[in-house]
Amino acid sequence: MSTPTTDAAAAGVRPSRGGAPKPPPPLVPETTSAERAALAEQYGLRRLNVRPPLREYIRDLAGRWNFIRVLATSTAYAKNQSNYLGQLWAVLNPILNAAVYVLIFGVLLGVNRHVENSIAFIVIGVFIFRFIESSVTGGAKSISGKTQLLRSLHFPRAVLPMSTVLSLLATLVPALAVMCVIVLLSGLIPGYQMMTITWWWLLLPAAVTLLWIFNTGLAFFMARIVATTPDLDNIIGFVMRVVMYGSGVIFPLAGYIERMGISEGAKVVLGGILEYQPVAVYLYLVRSCLTQEPSIPQSGLMWALGAAWAVVIFVIGFVVFWRGEERYGRD
Amino acid sequence: MTEADAHMDFDLELEPEDIGETPPETPIGDPCLVVDDLHVVYRVIGGRAKKEAAKGANVREVEVKQSFFRRLISSSRQHVGAVSEVHAVRGISFTVRHGESVGIVGVNGSGKSTLLRAIAGLMPPKSGSVHVSGEPSLLGVNAALMPQLTGERNIMIGGLALGLTPKQVEERFDDVVEFAGIGDFVYLPMKTYSSGMGARLRFAISSAASPDILMIDEALATGDAAFKARSKARIEEVRENAGTVFLVSHSISTIEAMCTRTLWVHEGKLVMDGPTMEVAERYKEFVRAQRPQGRKGGRRPGNRNGNGNGKGAARKVDA
Repeated sequence: MSTPTTDAAAAGVRPSRGGAPKPPPPLVPETTSAERAALAEQYGLRRLNVRPPLREYIRDLAGRWNFIRVLATSTAYAKNQSNYLGQLWAVLNPILNAAVYVLIFGVLLGVNRHVENSIAFIVIGVFIFRFIESSVTGGAKSISGKTQLLRSLHFPRAVLPMSTVLSLLATLVPALAVMCVIVLLSGLIPGYQMMTITWWWLLLPAAVTLLWIFNTGLAFFMARIVATTPDLDNIIGFVMRVVMYGSGVIFPLAGYIERMGISEGAKVVLGGILEYQPVAVYLYLVRSCLTQEPSIPQSGLMWALGAAWAVVIFVIGFVVFWRGEERYGRD
Repeated sequence: MTEADAHMDFDLELEPEDIGETPPETPIGDPCLVVDDLHVVYRVIGGRAKKEAAKGANVREVEVKQSFFRRLISSSRQHVGAVSEVHAVRGISFTVRHGESVGIVGVNGSGKSTLLRAIAGLMPPKSGSVHVSGEPSLLGVNAALMPQLTGERNIMIGGLALGLTPKQVEERFDDVVEFAGIGDFVYLPMKTYSSGMGARLRFAISSAASPDILMIDEALATGDAAFKARSKARIEEVRENAGTVFLVSHSISTIEAMCTRTLWVHEGKLVMDGPTMEVAERYKEFVRAQRPQGRKGGRRPGNRNGNGNGKGAARKVDA
């Protein structure tokens, strides 16, 4: 053998009896660092714990699509499996949720004087917003809560945020069915606008797909920042509540901005921000597909914005996440 | 990590069925793993090392620049902004060749498991580097898959995570179940398994992908004698296919039975590296000398074979 491999144990002195027994002194390697690096290169060894180039990372990730899918569907399934009613909760949970919001905001507070069918407005808002919110909170925990898994198995870490959001999408699908039924039924109540199934309903999957891409980007971003600074996990809840009231989830914001005591210019800027920020855009898209609200017509601008936000947030989130790849699991 | 709170527990654990066994010889090939001056530091949030302990110990406070805000809250630093570092592996270098089986020994908290994780590429090192050929695969006792899912789902997830295709996993499914010896429990959630069953299933999954480098962290301690025999055969199989096996175990006899070469890690440093016979001899000597007076001279554990209902949990040899 031409190259030294075993940094052989120095034939050290035996530990002296009598005094406190000591292990042998630390070994001094026979080879230098440079020699070892040369040896690794000579035999074509791959260095671990270095971030793979972006292109290679994407290819590796694409090859793991089955892993992402199985992990997502299994988690979605396991969530309800420890209850007596089992998978029935996938439908019961959204119904109860919708009931609470309709009761409080639609019936008791009556905040929706500006829309024709407030039940449809609230139910769509709550269901879609919950998907966004749980993607943010789930994405935030997708790395920091899985340290044991990260320290056991090797795979591109982007699998985790992606499967978290995919699993939420899997739970969203039965909820969407519930949502459509509630929207239709709400039209039968006297005093509420009649709801009909239109060709626009076919665009619902497109809107949800854009939202899914957007949410995955958000989850990437949250996973990275919470893995680095766990404290931020505590703030998410508050931020999301602000976003909820700032996006017209439960009541339209237009009337409120009009009544604010600020200059006209400021109203235009604030109104524009609130109207075209991503969460509001996706709520608009879904509502424009399912309802016939006169204030929410189909809008090409909104579809373009929805696609743009999805691509921009996904790409930024993915790159931000990838740049931390070699560090996940250390803390 | 828990390994880090180095409470000195010097016990020599012997597995009766391993005594007298030696690993078969396999031809040694080219280098397949080069570890160069590896340092691993954990950042631990939520705990602070005491100042006295900081001197020379494994755990030390992170030196944060003392801003005004920091000084303001310095009186409550144990509770606010507590960040410590655990320097678990402190500069280890070695080279391993194809076909070797390497044991890692050391007292509790010496950094064995951390070292294993780092060379598996699962613990990013602070400095230094690890170079490998092929894909290392590590599953230890703590390796959590998805406890709320069935064993069946876990086999699929584990297999996919190791880079198999769904078809390959299905093909090997029966083998994995048979190897783990868990029978119909495979259709129950993994959280309902006994620790031995869980460990067996994890070992079965991790070795199903026929890895180039198989790393085993204490996983064999929970198996019974029959499972041990099966895993030993599996380890030999990996080595015969020019793979490399790493084994961390408290049981020096398991290492003597399965490893040709042994690394002794003490306080995060490599203190001995050589043929298992030599290192084990010195290590046993060291451990015996650590024992309180009057407990010297460990007894052969042969006469304790009867108890334990064949579970074969790690038995301590205390005289």
